[in-house]
Amino acid sequence: MTETIGKTKLTFTVNGRETEVLVDPSWTLLRVLRESLGLTGTKRGCEEGDCGLCTVIMEDRAVDSCLVMALQAQGKTVETIEGMGHEHALHPLQKAFIEEGAVQCGFCTPGMIMSSEALLRQNTHPTVEEIKVGLSGNLCRCTGYTKIFKAVAKGSESGGRL
Amino acid sequence: MQSFQFYSPNYLEDALKYIADRKQTCRTLAGGTDLIPMLKKEEIRPDYLLNINEVGELKGVEDLDNQVRIGATTTFTEMIESETLNRFFPLLVNAAASVGGPQIRNRGTIGGNVITNGPCADVLPGIVALDGQLELQSKQDGRRLVSVADVLVTAYETSIRSDELLTGILIQKPVQGTKSGFEKLGRRNAMAKARLNLSIALRQDPNGTISAVSIVPGAVMPVAVRMNDVESMLLGRKPTPVLIQAAADKLVEVVVNTAGIRWSSEYKVPVLKNIFKRVMWRVLAEDPQ
Ligand SMILES: Cc1cc2nc3c(=O)[nH]c(=O)nc-3n(C[C@H](O)[C@H](O)[C@H](O)COP(=O)(O)OP(=O)(O)OC[C@H]3O[C@@H](n4cnc5c(N)ncnc54)[C@H](O)[C@@H]3O)c2cc1C
Ligand code: FES
Ligand code: FES
Repeated sequence: MTETIGKTKLTFTVNGRETEVLVDPSWTLLRVLRESLGLTGTKRGCEEGDCGLCTVIMEDRAVDSCLVMALQAQGKTVETIEGMGHEHALHPLQKAFIEEGAVQCGFCTPGMIMSSEALLRQNTHPTVEEIKVGLSGNLCRCTGYTKIFKAVAKGSESGGRL
Repeated sequence: MQSFQFYSPNYLEDALKYIADRKQTCRTLAGGTDLIPMLKKEEIRPDYLLNINEVGELKGVEDLDNQVRIGATTTFTEMIESETLNRFFPLLVNAAASVGGPQIRNRGTIGGNVITNGPCADVLPGIVALDGQLELQSKQDGRRLVSVADVLVTAYETSIRSDELLTGILIQKPVQGTKSGFEKLGRRNAMAKARLNLSIALRQDPNGTISAVSIVPGAVMPVAVRMNDVESMLLGRKPTPVLIQAAADKLVEVVVNTAGIRWSSEYKVPVLKNIFKRVMWRVLAEDPQ
């Protein structure tokens, strides 16, 4: 690969679609998703890895998109909340979150769902302890977490993504 | 964030050439969990950023004859999932598992943990406890091996040159019968950067006498360092409650003398003593590998 100066082409797969976008090397993946691609379901919070609001799945693993440089996603597969489901065909985890009342203000929910999805890909039937560990990089100021953990357990029973 | 040029080579040779030509104006980017926040705050303003994540030679855990090589860009998650590390160095697996939350473990690398050399590092103390060696490479000098303890100058500072890359961590496979333990105390939230951690490795003779021991507390000293004075108290002796208590007192004495008197008034003194005794007894009670 050659050195890039100024704006440069980033080619990666976003929610199953081959995507090309011009980025500045100083941009983070979070910025490209939200500002260049309009995928604003991924939230912006602390910008330093503490809150997990910006969580997306890159190469099958949960990452904080605020701590990934955009050009580090070159050639990679990225999934955001927009790829999980939509109004008329909710993802099982989204359904479970709603049914369990795990959504209050909802600001943490996209990140929570992405972390949960990444967890269920590694571990189809996590224990509550494993769910807690899996979501330990995501903060929620509203729910007290219990309902979120329940929702993930339910999402895994109903098959999650299975 | 101030902009920079970004280079992402696939081969080590290209990476080494790139930093050799640019030295101080270039920063190496691995998982970015330490570096990207610094770039955002403009605490550093490099002209060039070298992304080493695509360099194959830096990735993964290799089982060599009598040692194990952990590539510098091996992530904490990859360490946890490595069969070789689980078999030979559970200490490092437990340390890696204690880092941050999943998102940080999926990106953060062992090499970044060493080079940052933060006093709160969780995996670095384990490498020191196991007498790990760093494999450093540069265009000018090729490959050199140094003991990890020799490059940790002071908090956030190493003696690794700006034209060098850390390419791997080499650790001798443990002698039969070696046992180890790791424990970390932090805030309850898993995202807590370590406030206190302890890595211990030891061996006992068939009659119980401690024949080898290595003790490294983390987040209490400026850099991770073996507690030689405590170790020599334990060597050649059979563990008794009196001996372990004396060793715990010694450990705290060494730490207070090094880290300063203010430290001693904090809650850490009793906590460090307790964590030491707990991990020691747990390791002693374990069956050898
Ligand atoms: C929210 C959060 C929680 C955290 N929790 C913990 C924790 O619990 N425990 C813990 O120990 N750490 C923790 N950290 C710190 C961090 O994740 C670790 O120190 C990690 O090991 C850094 O690795 P990295 O690959 O991300 O390094 P980077 O940020 O990419 O690089 C760190 C430094 O090392 C240099 N560098 C990296 N690789 C090389 C190389 N191969 N050769 C030469 N130079 C190199 C870089 O130039 C930079 O100076 C946390 C960080 C965050 C943001
Ligand atoms: S915005 Fe990325 S972790 Fe908080
Ligand atoms: S629902 Fe409001 S932050 Fe989680």
